[in-house]
Amino acid sequence: MPHLRSLLRVARRLSFDPATAEDLVQETMLLAWRGFHQFQTGSNARAWLFRILLNAFYGQERKARREPCPVPVPVDTKLQEAVEIAEALQALAIEQRTALLLCVVEGFTCREAAEILNVPIGTVMSRLSRARQELRESLAPRMKATKAMETKAAFQ
Amino acid sequence: MSDDELDQRVRAGVLAEPIDVSRVEAAVRERIRPRHVPGWAVAAAAVIAMVAASFLSYRTFLKEQQAPPICVAAAQDHQREIVQGAPRRWVSDRSALQSLAQEQAVPVSAMAALETTGYHLQRGRLCFLQKQIFLHLVYTKDKAEFSVYLRHPSGLFNGSVHGDETLAYFETGRVTAVFVSHGAGALSFARAGARVL
Repeated sequence: MPHLRSLLRVARRLSFDPATAEDLVQETMLLAWRGFHQFQTGSNARAWLFRILLNAFYGQERKARREPCPVPVPVDTKLQEAVEIAEALQALAIEQRTALLLCVVEGFTCREAAEILNVPIGTVMSRLSRARQELRESLAPRMKATKAMETKAAFQ
Repeated sequence: MSDDELDQRVRAGVLAEPIDVSRVEAAVRERIRPRHVPGWAVAAAAVIAMVAASFLSYRTFLKEQQAPPICVAAAQDHQREIVQGAPRRWVSDRSALQSLAQEQAVPVSAMAALETTGYHLQRGRLCFLQKQIFLHLVYTKDKAEFSVYLRHPSGLFNGSVHGDETLAYFETGRVTAVFVSHGAGALSFARAGARVL
């Protein structure tokens, strides 16, 4: 099934619960299956699927506001940075996190993200800018340490 | 750190997380998979469909059989005159009924022939069904009343007027006859002619 991996990746970053994320993606694919006649041939199928995913997610959020739980990222030293990035993403507001996931991770343009989220392009750009700024602040200590280790390794 | 550097690290961090889609994919496929219908259910559905089709065909056939307007008119006449008992001038005298039959070219023997089946002729009169004259006979059996409407088998005496000419026609097994007169008279001649042709 196309785009399933991308959808699940974003769903996990949105819900922070693997089971909920899987349910969300399952619902997305079923909604897409049932509503396939609404898909306009020639338009962006991936963006269409993400729009369904986000609508489903926000629909669930409205029904039950819940506190995010920790992301069960595998404990692996190689993935240490991934863990920190996951925590930093979790600290972001949901709107900023969504904009960042769509544009930075999934590679949508700001215009495409604006269409998916049904907001003006300027809103996407400002959310993206704020998300980057907050991520920078969260990851700054880690970034400095990594830089120092890379410099040290270069001189050895 | 530039935006590009930050984006690259975020992208690498998120993409490093292993994603297993097999469970979701299996669940979705299971949900959209066409349900298997047992063979016996298909057979049962086919039988039910055939029975339903036969029933509908039979109903349609019956409806078509009941459709002739002349039969509908007879049923309405019977309901009005026999069931509801609308006041009418009935003829009970046997010789008077025979005269009515002769006037309409209805074989007199038919009235008596019907009585041999166990039904008793009680009364009769002339009436119109579908603008055609019929001899309406009422037979009884076990207190039940039955209507019989008779007329010459030709569709006789549908008199019509064409200009100043009066037309009357009938058909028998042997002949088709058209009677024409200038002014009235063709109908009487046709009735008389039907008795001898």
